[in-house]
Amino acid sequence: MSYDTEHVRNAGDGPARITGLPTFTALLTNPDLADLYTQVRQEAGVTAPELIEEANVSKKTVYDYLHRLEQAGLVVETDADGTGATSRYEAAAFELALTIRGIEVSVTPELVAVIARAKEYPVITRVCDDNGVVAFALAHDLIKAHSEGELTIRQIAELTDLSTGTVYDLVEAVYAIHDLGDDAEEPTTYSPADVANDELSLESTDE
Amino acid sequence: MTESAERYTANIVDTVIFRSLGKPPNQHVESLKQAVAAASTELWVPPAIYRELTDSSQEPPQNPYLDSGVADGWIRVASPFSGNRETPYESVSDPVQQAQHLADGYLNEQSKYPETNNWRDASVVALAVRLFEENTRIRVITHTADENLARACARIPPEFGYHNIESRYYNPPQTAKRRFPTVESLSWRGE
Repeated sequence: MSYDTEHVRNAGDGPARITGLPTFTALLTNPDLADLYTQVRQEAGVTAPELIEEANVSKKTVYDYLHRLEQAGLVVETDADGTGATSRYEAAAFELALTIRGIEVSVTPELVAVIARAKEYPVITRVCDDNGVVAFALAHDLIKAHSEGELTIRQIAELTDLSTGTVYDLVEAVYAIHDLGDDAEEPTTYSPADVANDELSLESTDE
Repeated sequence: MTESAERYTANIVDTVIFRSLGKPPNQHVESLKQAVAAASTELWVPPAIYRELTDSSQEPPQNPYLDSGVADGWIRVASPFSGNRETPYESVSDPVQQAQHLADGYLNEQSKYPETNNWRDASVVALAVRLFEENTRIRVITHTADENLARACARIPPEFGYHNIESRYYNPPQTAKRRFPTVESLSWRGE
């Protein structure tokens, strides 16, 4: 799979520069690190003891990860209560934009939040290991587009070179993690009258 | 007897729905079997969808999702379609093949992404048209978790004069395990 990197940049009000590319890479390959970053992102102003309480890793590892994320500019220490007594942390937003086969793909904290759940959904690790994080990021973006009705699951499989079975498993994981879809009790029913205005080309589909 | 009672209702089901239900035996599939019987219907799948759910690593290949329902007679696998995607639409006269071409093109037109081969998706629409062609008094309900495919199922059969179709769209897909195996979802609403 070939792709062009257009840019990596901070988004929002984060620090000016992400400096630690190895840590940034680790964020996309280490579910525990991704989980810690995601917790900081979801609970701005969280303290280290609070993170230790919820973490799946040791106290030492939490401090090591926080240090790495801070060094990389992905997490910043703040003095939210103004006393300076307790270190509090906030996550820096970021966005890595790529173009793959003419499709724009973004690596964002939202993707990291999915990688953070890899132990719960083994298909995430399987795709990242077998196909690479970039292919996973492409699938992630396309699944979000699927939730908007923009393409089918089989189209995702073809565009990502993943098997349909793998994409079905990924769809279930990403929908659940991001809580995609509607809450209706019944499926939506389309009748011919509902879609009568959809354009239908009579041209050949043969390429 | 009412017109509704005289018509046979066929339900065409996409792969994602069976995957959501899981491999039998389980409670979701048992609920589905009971709902199919209560709704006096059958579930139909195109050959491409049967193959998609087949475990080819077994010798002989087995379909852990469908084989028990097929053996029990409440799931029916359609016979293979003639024609293929490479045949130009203009040279095709069979309505079933025409419908498959139209669905393939429709799915690319509705997507903002690069063109893809949608022949397997389109087989759901093709099967609907075939059932209409082969049965005079029939209603068809399709079930999928792809919105564009759901719209194609309702949009294309009327091009061939078949309007007795309802297309159900399950969003998010995993809710099909709860929303699909019910008498209501398998029954004609006529709204």
